Order: sequence, then C-alpha cells, then structure tokens
Amino acid sequence: MLSRRTFLEIAAASGLAAHLGCAGGPSTKKRKKLAIVASIWRYLSHAQHFGDRFLVGYPRKGQWHHPEMDVVSLYVDQKPEGDQSQARADEFGFQVYPTIQEALRCGGDKLAVDAVLLIIEHGDYPRNAKGQVLYPRYEFFQQVVEVFEQDGRAVPVFNDKHLSYDTAKAKKMVADSKRLGFPLLAGSSLPVTWRIPAIEFPLDCVIEEALMVGVGSSDASDYHALEAMQCMVERRRGGESGVKSVQLIQGDAVWKAGGEGRWSKRLLEAALSRSNKLLGDTLIDARPQDLANNGQLPKIVKEPAAYFIEHADGLQSTLLMLNGGVQDRTFAAKLQGMPEPQSLLFQLPPLPNVTYSACLAEKIEEMIETGQAPFPAERTLIVSGILDHCLESKVQGNRKLETPELQIRYRPPEGSHFCRA
Amino acid sequence: MSRAPSPGLSRRNVLSAAPLTAAGGMAAAVPSRKRPRIAAVVSEYRRYSHAQHIVDRFLWGYGWGNRHHRPPMDVVSVYVDQTPKNTLIHDRLRRFPTMKKYPTIAEALTQGGSRLAVDGVLLIGEHGNYPKNEKGQTLYPRYEWFKEITRVFRDSGRSVPVFNDKHLSWKWEWAKEMVDISRELDFAFLAGSSVPVTPRLPSIDMPLGVEIEEALCLAVGGMDGYDIHALEGLQCMVERRRGGETGAASIHALRGDPVFQAMKAGSWQAGGWDPELFQACLCRSHSLTPNREGFNHVLPSLEQVPGLITENTPLAYRFEYLDGLKGTILLMEGLVMDFTFAARLKGGEVISTQMFLPPREVCNFFNPQCHHVEQMFLTGKAGYPVERTLLTTGLTAAGVESVWQGQKRLDTPHLNIRYQPTQESTFWRS
Repeated sequence: MLSRRTFLEIAAASGLAAHLGCAGGPSTKKRKKLAIVASIWRYLSHAQHFGDRFLVGYPRKGQWHHPEMDVVSLYVDQKPEGDQSQARADEFGFQVYPTIQEALRCGGDKLAVDAVLLIIEHGDYPRNAKGQVLYPRYEFFQQVVEVFEQDGRAVPVFNDKHLSYDTAKAKKMVADSKRLGFPLLAGSSLPVTWRIPAIEFPLDCVIEEALMVGVGSSDASDYHALEAMQCMVERRRGGESGVKSVQLIQGDAVWKAGGEGRWSKRLLEAALSRSNKLLGDTLIDARPQDLANNGQLPKIVKEPAAYFIEHADGLQSTLLMLNGGVQDRTFAAKLQGMPEPQSLLFQLPPLPNVTYSACLAEKIEEMIETGQAPFPAERTLIVSGILDHCLESKVQGNRKLETPELQIRYRPPEGSHFCRA
Repeated sequence: MSRAPSPGLSRRNVLSAAPLTAAGGMAAAVPSRKRPRIAAVVSEYRRYSHAQHIVDRFLWGYGWGNRHHRPPMDVVSVYVDQTPKNTLIHDRLRRFPTMKKYPTIAEALTQGGSRLAVDGVLLIGEHGNYPKNEKGQTLYPRYEWFKEITRVFRDSGRSVPVFNDKHLSWKWEWAKEMVDISRELDFAFLAGSSVPVTPRLPSIDMPLGVEIEEALCLAVGGMDGYDIHALEGLQCMVERRRGGETGAASIHALRGDPVFQAMKAGSWQAGGWDPELFQACLCRSHSLTPNREGFNHVLPSLEQVPGLITENTPLAYRFEYLDGLKGTILLMEGLVMDFTFAARLKGGEVISTQMFLPPREVCNFFNPQCHHVEQMFLTGKAGYPVERTLLTTGLTAAGVESVWQGQKRLDTPHLNIRYQPTQESTFWRS
C-alpha cells in the first residue's frame, strides 16, 4: 500500500524516477530492463498505451501501480507526425536506437534486456488483397530471435495482438519461442478486460454452441472479437482441439444462415441482452430493444459478416460482425446441463484511459516477473490462423475452407486472467 | 418467450392478454389473471427522462437473465404531469394500447373508476420543469403525488407496492412521512437510485458484518441531483457493516475552494478525508482526465486535481454516523466522469470498486433497478430497505442545508435511522 506521502509525490516523481538507462546499469539489482520494439509511438497508438503503463504506472487492484522494471531502449519503425518516441526517451531516460538489434543490446554487443515488448500496431503499412495490414510482426520477431540466438540467451517476449497476418509465419513465431525456450505472451486485451457479468466458464465444461458479436473493421477488430470468443471456448472439455474448417459469409446470406439455424438466434438474443450500446431505434428515443428478434438488424447492419468456425471436436463457434447494429462486444454460449445460455459483455472502458490496456499490462508484467506466460500463445496462434483463413474464404467467394494448418491443440490456463480484482 | 395458456385459463383472460401481443409485435403474454396491473405516475416522458428509461423497460422489455426479458405485468395507466414538445407519451400510448393516460393520479390508479384498480405504482418524479427553492433544491412533487396515491389506497381500503425513483422528497419531514405512511398502510415501498444495484467493477460487495472506519464515494454532477446518487452508492456499501445502520450524527458540506482546502487536510479528523481512499477511487475510475497532454492515463497529484474539474462546482459532504463511521461524498466532475467507492476497514485494508453506469444511450443501469421493482410487484416485498433511501434523502437535504447555512457543520439528530441490510447482495452480478 502506498503511503500518503508517496501519493502526494507520485505525479511529480513519475517523470523523474531514477531510470538509469542502459549505460547506467540496473538501478537496483532486481529491476528488470525492457526493450520496446514498436511500429510507431504517438498519442493513443498501442505503443503509447502499453509503453506508458511501464513509464508512469497504471491502476491495478485499486492502487496506482509502478512496475518494478525500467524501459531502457526503444526501436520505432516509423516516426509520423505526432511521434513521441524521442520525447519519452528524454523524459524517462531511455535510448531510441536505429535498429532492433541495437535496442536489444542497448548499443552494445550482447543482449542487454530482460524482456522485449513487440508492439506493432498502428502505423503506415500496406494491405494485401485479403484486407490484412502487413504489419511486420513476424519480421521484427525474427530479428529479436536472431539476437537471442547470436547472444546465446533468450528473454520473455510480449507480442501485441495477433502474431502475424500469415498463418505459417505465426506458427514459426510460436515454434521459435518453444525452440529457444522463452515465454511468449501474445494477443488482444479483450480476453483480459473487465467482463459484465464477471464470469468464467468452468474448466472442462461442455459447450454446445458459441456466438460472439463484434464490431469494427477487418482485420483489426474482427481479430479482437475472435480472440475474445476463443478465450471462452478453449475452456471446454478436452481443451482446444484445433479447427477443421472456417467460412466467412457476408450480406443477406448472414441473415439467411440465421434463419436456417447455422447460427443461433437464441444465442444472439443472449449476447445482445448484455449490450450497452444498441443502435437503430434506440438512437431515436433511447428505447430498449429486442434487437435479435425485432427485425431491425437487417435494416441497420449495412455489411454483416459471419465467421463460422468448425472445431475438430465438433464445436461450432460463430462471430457475427454487426456494425451499425451495436457498438460493443458481447458473447453467449450454450453449456450442457444449463437450461439457459450464458452471456457476457467484454467491457472496453472508453478513451482516453482505455483501462483494458492496464489489464494486459498486468499480464505482461506477470510474465516478465515469473518467466511464465499466464496464458498460452497457442490461443493467439489459432486465432491468427482462423482470421487468416476466414479472410481467405472471403476472397475465395465466401466458400468454406478446410484448415489442416489449424490442427492446433492446447490446454487453457487453470486460472482466470481477466480483470476482476 | 411465449407460454401456452394453462388449461384452467378462462376465455376472458386469453382475450385480455391479446392486446399486448398486438402492440408492436410483442410475444404472447402469460395468463393475464396473474399479470399485475401497473400505474405509472411520472413528471415527463421524453428521451432520457427517468420515466422514459423506467416505464420503457416495462413496455419494451430489457436485457435480463441472458435474454430480452419482458416483465410479466402490464402498465395499464399513466399520469404524466408535463408534456413538453419532445414528449414521447403519445408515441408510447399509440404503440402500447394496453396503457391508458389519465388526467389525474387518482384516475390513473383507479383506471377511471372509483376504487384502486392496479397492483403496483411507479412514482417517477424526476426531470421536468419544476421550480427551485432558494437553497437550490428542485421542488419535485414526489411527496404530493405520494399523498394522492395513498389517498386512493385509503379510500379503497387496499394498498399495493410503490416504487419511488431517487430520493423520497426534497424535504426531510415529508420524506419521513412517506415512509411512515407506507408502514401504516403496510405496503411494500422501494426507493432510491440505480447506483446501488448497477454492475460493479470489480464485482464485489461489502462483506457483511465487517467493521469500517471510513468510506468515500467520488462521483460527478451537482448538488440536489447527484449528491443523492453518491450517497446511495456509499450507503448501500456501509450499511453492511457490523451492527447494521445506526444513522447519521452530523454533516458538513463544502463547496468550491473549501473542498480543495479540505482535500489537503490529509485526514477526516483534520477536516478532510483519507487520501488513500481518494486515490483508490481515482484508480477505480475508467474516466480519469489526464493532467498531461500526450498521456492517456496518469495519476494526478492533489495539487493538480482542482485544474481538472470542469463541470459544476466541486462539492463535498463529510458526515459522521452514530457508531463513529466517517463518510464523504465528493462530486468532482471533469476530474472523473464515473462513480467510484472506497472504504477503509478496521485493520487498515482498503476495498474499492466502481459502480458502473453504462452509457446514456441505453442507460442499462435501469435494468437491475427495474428488476427489483418488478420483483416487488410480483412478491409484495421490497428487495432492499427503504430506510436506506430515507437516510440518504435526509443526508441530501442536510447537505444542502449545510451549504445554505454557509457551509456550516450541522448535527443531524433526526437522522438516527437504524436498519439492517439485506443478507444477499442486490447489485447486478449475474
């Protein structure tokens, strides 16, 4: 617990903490050193969200928490207008290096940090025909791995969001972490953010069907929604069994598929019963709506999409992207033995605080402190692959694709890791 | 949602349930014989008014229990005191023909007849154009309407459950009389804000029977509107302490710069509040205004707090309970935009949470409140004690009075309100 004196001093001191940087060596024996490898660092970019948590602290369990570790080096790939990288480095006493290798070695000849945060989200990168932004996560990760190999030491790595837009590259990233034996934590904030209600499925429950409602763009926001769904369904009996096939359909076919029972209207009703941001008629006069059943969705959702995922053990999970219908992310599943579906809202606290990034920062810190990733990178791997193949289905005329590459089996973590304390 | 009529259902009951089905394509109703009839007595029915949020939930249904839940009851009558240009009452009457509008409260309760003809009453006297007194209190006629409602109860020799939105009355004596009448006529009486029942982040309640030394609620808004919400948020937590509620002994309201001076005092004893509780509230907020450009989330120093308050004059009520517990509510809009709570337990432990208020567009914090109202209409029992709202009503009026008397500390011997909390938690957590 912070003393009163500490509280009074926090804001003033936060910018002046004794970050001695690479050259000065560790300020205390136990303080770990972090390198950040980012695409860009400007206000409200992911690098700023996460990086600042390690510089100025963040709220954790009702207290302002200062990680016992120091950012000592930074590599930024692009410096657009509004770049904050040098200003942060000057204020907090770390160095911006021109290459990833130099950042990891703090300008020396050996790996000189205790962990690497790879935050390659936002920035100006091309898109491919599938609509995937070609963020160089794999390429940067390879440079990190090369340093590890050359220097004979590997340290924990956090990879923000999906691993790579390309399944084969994503697989190689996880394989490298296993080969060199370093913990890899990856993924979205959604699995760890606040849930309303604060529920977790019991391990080894039997899930009969699952449905996620997502909003936003592809391939940024559909990724978040898919990973939110995955962190719920992976807890089913036997753990994740891998994915046999995927299909992405669009437009009226989505509603037709609902009518035919390819996705469950009952689950949609359960999910939307958690929504705090219904659109359509609610915008007229704030009326509550039974949006799953009142016939409004086909009128207000302009470009619906359904992502069908057939798991190897037979589970069907579906992501519905309902832009124009709602503005939040909800989930529902039917569990065997429970008469009613279970549902929840993945609560994403608003800008500018976006406190969901504090929930993930806590997990990053946990990995760096313990040397163990709190949840498996296979989750992020399989979701990276699901999204890659769904977008392939999209460009192949929305046809169903078999996915032998996604025979990825893993066990979920025993404990819960979403923010609830 | 539809349920087949039971074999014993009369033809009349099936037919009388039919209009609901016709109204806006609603699902078939449960047998009408068992469907309570509800009267709504409201100030104004427009977008975002409390009447719209609450009555709409009884008409359209709302998210509850993993589905779009339709209350198994019918709003059959409505009294609307004011109809501004943007009123929605005509729209709702057209969409829900089961609901009829009456020109008086008595007629709404009797459905135009001579005797009470409803099974529950919604009293929603919030929003609308009502005068303010010199102390800044809006003179919502909740007491006056409550008297009209209970006059019908008396005349009919029958009473039914009543829900009173927000505090009971702006005037303490009237509030007290409202609770006394509910006891005299022996009807279930539920009241208050939705803050006590909304989801919490984290989803925790005050452990029953703990000893609490000090509690603080940091919130938004202004005097005589949001002070009551903050007081209710605090009270629903502290009433669970050892021995239950004992009542309030004194209150001291601060407004403007004195709030900032008190903030620097460093403790409740020194004239302020526990800074650790304040910090815990800031750490539970999801809308803490950054005090530095280019940073999205930083903890302000106490010196920086005044510069972050943009809306309304900062307000603090410091109050002491009869058993020694200390409480503070702070309205500091702009510093934060949400409701947070922290308390120090005996032994030093601090517990804290956010009472989560979903965005205005849907205002789903009314869902758990409507759930409790609905349960009262079905069971004849209030889910939590009206004495909580009697005490917060008294504290609100006393806080306003303290400001009016030049921010003077006032003893509150009339607030010796003792009650026991519910054993079970009543906030939305499923």
